[in-house]
Amino acid sequence: MRDAGYVAAGYTLTLATLAGYRWHLAVRTRRARRYVTAVTGRARGWRRRP
Amino acid sequence: MRHLYRALTVLGSYRAQRVMGVATLAGLAATVVIGLFVVPPDATQGDVQRLMYIHVPVAWVTFLAFGVVFIASAGYLKTGRIQWDRVAAASAEIGVQFCALTIVLGSLWGRPVWGTWWTWDPRLTTTAVLLLIYVGYLSLRKVADSPARRAKWAAVVGVIGFIDVPIVHESVVWWRSLHQQATVLRLGAPTIAGSMLATLLLAFVTFTLAYGYLMAVRLRVGRLEDRSTVPVSSLPAPRARRPRPVGIPAPAPADIPTSASAEMPTSVPAGQPGPAPADMPASVASDSHA
Repeated sequence: MRDAGYVAAGYTLTLATLAGYRWHLAVRTRRARRYVTAVTGRARGWRRRP
Repeated sequence: MRHLYRALTVLGSYRAQRVMGVATLAGLAATVVIGLFVVPPDATQGDVQRLMYIHVPVAWVTFLAFGVVFIASAGYLKTGRIQWDRVAAASAEIGVQFCALTIVLGSLWGRPVWGTWWTWDPRLTTTAVLLLIYVGYLSLRKVADSPARRAKWAAVVGVIGFIDVPIVHESVVWWRSLHQQATVLRLGAPTIAGSMLATLLLAFVTFTLAYGYLMAVRLRVGRLEDRSTVPVSSLPAPRARRPRPVGIPAPAPADIPTSASAEMPTSVPAGQPGPAPADMPASVASDSHA
């Protein structure tokens, strides 16, 4: 395969960007959830009773 | 507008997220396998043309993301609802990453084909300007001092900044460009082989799904972060989570007057701990509301 390095770099970079951003969002979710739980005293998934 | 936001809300449910996540993973795996090993190489460019199966869909998602920023920004300016601002912010963040990825992938493709990593070609230059506009959009969101002002400024930039998207798309038609002309989104039949077109369409669907999935997750993060930045006093009062120390009676329900509850003020500000019963040690009283 000619120019395999460019192709491999492109595919790897794309997948790494997607995975990296998803990981970044997971970290932000955990941090925000911890803060909200600490302030409200309510566990994850808490819902107001009807 | 309302229907669009409702569709985004449905996409934000856990089940929809999980389905989109699995579909995105499957689509990415299929795109990589078919794009790298199944489809024949291009007759003139050889194997490096395989970058088309990610470069073009990533560019499409960039346009889609900035289009959503435009619609959501217009929605915010029209209705003033903060949900639109949240959608615009989420889409801009994703769009900036896809735009940067488009430029890098194009550069990787341009090096062996054009013999250069970068040239001031109209398509490349307008794409770089597009990236700068939305990096500026995200920076503007950081400097505004109040949520309402941030949303308003960002919405104006989100509407005006979208002007560059049609310019990027038409740049190869309006000006002399190294970049190739449109092969799929053009008048008449696509000028591309059937197997390549099928792979490209698969990649379009996959990356659109990836955008939908990332949007759903990012919107959830946005809602949580908005909750965690509101003033603590406006949040519901905290509940005591520690076990009550032995020997201290449980407070009576509000409708049964006792000597202790009669002394309690009836309106305790949300987020503020109420006064402790008289027989509770000071350290326990402060801990039980932490």
